[in-house]
Amino acid sequence: MSLDVIDGILHHLKIFLFHKQHDKMMRKRVYSLSVECLDNILKHSDISEEKHELLINYPPRFIVEKIAEDFLIHTGNVILNKNRDKIIPRLDKLNALTIEEINELYKKSLANAEISAKGGAGLGLIVMAKTTKQKIRYDFEKINDKFSYFAMQLNLKK
Amino acid sequence: MKGLNIPATEKSPRVLFDTANYIFEIQGNSRPENGRDFYFPIIYKLRKHFEKVIDKKKIEEFNEKCFKFNFKLDYFNSSSAKFISDILVLIKDFTEEGLNIKIYWYFAESDEDMKEVGEDFSDMISIPFHFIMIER
Repeated sequence: MSLDVIDGILHHLKIFLFHKQHDKMMRKRVYSLSVECLDNILKHSDISEEKHELLINYPPRFIVEKIAEDFLIHTGNVILNKNRDKIIPRLDKLNALTIEEINELYKKSLANAEISAKGGAGLGLIVMAKTTKQKIRYDFEKINDKFSYFAMQLNLKK
Repeated sequence: MKGLNIPATEKSPRVLFDTANYIFEIQGNSRPENGRDFYFPIIYKLRKHFEKVIDKKKIEEFNEKCFKFNFKLDYFNSSSAKFISDILVLIKDFTEEGLNIKIYWYFAESDEDMKEVGEDFSDMISIPFHFIMIER
């Protein structure tokens, strides 16, 4: 996954949404969620020789599915197990919050966020929860002692 | 011109910082490849300018004009949100130092999320924004 690939995907997505989704707000929400998902895949893809081998069986995944008026966004990427252990509590915490609590967390996080070495503000998951107003579904498949495959599903309802 | 005039690209917004006309405007989409490289020089320039106004004791002259910040963003990603929040915190700091600054937050008629995020920002810095709806 590279920035050029992401730009290409987002370009096609814009065209798809323009033709298939007339509600401008929904169009923008799908686009915005997609940017956050793709950024996450890019930022967490710690490339190593060892991992290159894994990518054959565990390639990055990004699927946008339109079901009636709703959208499902599926993502998947290989991550280090040590990062998995950091993400699970963050996802569980978000999934336990009400919408009002998520909005409060967003405001607090905006004020306190630090930009990481990889350029992220750590706000992506909060934005996903805030935008979808639904629980984030996720799953980790252990590949070996070092890596897992992180699969996530966002449900955007009309 | 003292200030900045950065043209928009597909991924980064147009930024105008016109000190002579007391205006800062950011317009378009913000998903720059490196948010830090894009926003840090802007934040630095704003800070330096406002510090100069205060150091040279020109607050009265500055406040007669009233500095306008126009946020006319169509879309920004979560890391840009952090930098926009940094600009707003800077405005808050200098407002507390006595500078007269007004914030105008534009949003499209169809874009309730953009209005909501403006309200979040306004809450965050405890400064009321002027909300302006654009028909598209």
